[in-house]
Amino acid sequence: MIHRLLAVLSFVFLCVGTASAEPLKWGGPIGSQTSDGYNALGPVVKQPIEFPHYRHARDMGISCLYCHTGARRGYVSVIPRIDKCIGCHQNIESVRNKPRIKKLFEYWEKKEPIPWKKVNDLPDYVRFNHERHVQRFYFRQNRPIREVCGYCHGDVANMTVDRRVKSLSMGWCISCHQKDHRENDVSMKTSHGPYECWQCHK
Amino acid sequence: MSITNLLNNWSFYRNKRPYRGQYDLNKEYSEYKWAMALDLDICTGCNACTTACYAENNLPVVGKKRFHHGQVMHWIRIERYWDEKMVDFPEQGASFLPMMCQQCEAAPCETVCPVGATSHTNDGLNSQNYHRCIGSRYCSANCPYKVRYFNFWNYPSTAWPAPLPDQLNPDVTVRTKGIMEKCTFCVQRLNEAKSRARTEYRLVRDGEVVPACVQACPTSAITFGNIVDPNSKVAKMWKNQQVDLYKDLQEKDNTVRGYRILEDLRPFPSVMYMERIRDTEA
Repeated sequence: MIHRLLAVLSFVFLCVGTASAEPLKWGGPIGSQTSDGYNALGPVVKQPIEFPHYRHARDMGISCLYCHTGARRGYVSVIPRIDKCIGCHQNIESVRNKPRIKKLFEYWEKKEPIPWKKVNDLPDYVRFNHERHVQRFYFRQNRPIREVCGYCHGDVANMTVDRRVKSLSMGWCISCHQKDHRENDVSMKTSHGPYECWQCHK
Repeated sequence: MSITNLLNNWSFYRNKRPYRGQYDLNKEYSEYKWAMALDLDICTGCNACTTACYAENNLPVVGKKRFHHGQVMHWIRIERYWDEKMVDFPEQGASFLPMMCQQCEAAPCETVCPVGATSHTNDGLNSQNYHRCIGSRYCSANCPYKVRYFNFWNYPSTAWPAPLPDQLNPDVTVRTKGIMEKCTFCVQRLNEAKSRARTEYRLVRDGEVVPACVQACPTSAITFGNIVDPNSKVAKMWKNQQVDLYKDLQEKDNTVRGYRILEDLRPFPSVMYMERIRDTEA
């Protein structure tokens, strides 16, 4: 009885808590998952520098893989090191005095890494292989990179600081892995992603 | 898996493992079947494989007292046998048999799990999902090899004091109290090798990936590989020793040493042992 009461109470508090957070523009409450798994908006993560993804990926048209270099060859997609930022930005005089860039160069001169926070964070017992997804959809099927990354990360190219927009839960992964996808544009042969436990759980 | 799905595809789920054509180079998702060949004549019982497994798979050291309670967590253990004939104890010496999960094709542990935490993967491994396991220990009771180990204690908080968690393998979960675990053939290495191979449009080459025990073995007593590939070393050894994955008790020539442990129980294990021969007359 007391457990049920506690459960009801915590549910009420959760509802109040999410309602008082910033207004939700799209998607369900934070961390929720609809039956199809979409529309689960993650929490707002405050980054040390408000990195404008839209400026880089949308306005400048830079490929996601240019900075997230690990995505095509490893399990983790890699948040770029500071020298990657500096490599371009020391030659871009026009934005040199913008506050975010100043902050970037402060870190650079202090010789400190930028303490980025994780946005798309999976539990420690799950391994997600970026390489398999990028290799298949981008390199083999030649789909646009923003679409390929967007399957899991949403429309990052229109965001400033990245925010999780898909629930990234197991049921959500499986909902895609169970579907039959055409293997390539030429053949009609279909296959689905693997869904054995040991593909992701370690 | 819903009931409707189960009933509609009954013949698919009710299949008998192993069946011929289950592993085939031309068929998708089953071009791998990991198997081992273990030569007991070469094994010196040095325990390097056990040590390597402890390091690779985040196994806790349980201590003397818990060892005597039978709560030791070695995924690969060296069994000692003192049954060599003709000589008495001091001169006799032990014969050794490394025993790890045999990754049975018709695994007795899989059928009894009440929550489906242990199941078969497409590449012939017997997977154990730690997060689904509720610790009923049925699987351990049903395992004829006794190679499943149960976490009786909360080892993450006791087995690795302060600086030691830094040496844990990040690719392997640290298991907590109340769940079952077992040898995985170092699935984290296999998955990585498979992924690398797939990126390069090829299959995993023979010898490209080995579990920690095979890597550590100083005498190369253990051979590991993909038995589907007829040119792999392990497939050749199985063939030379006349051991067939799909058969239980097999008629063999007198000249071969290969056998699988408890074949007559029909679990169709994936590990072949090669008998130890000693010239006791000399």
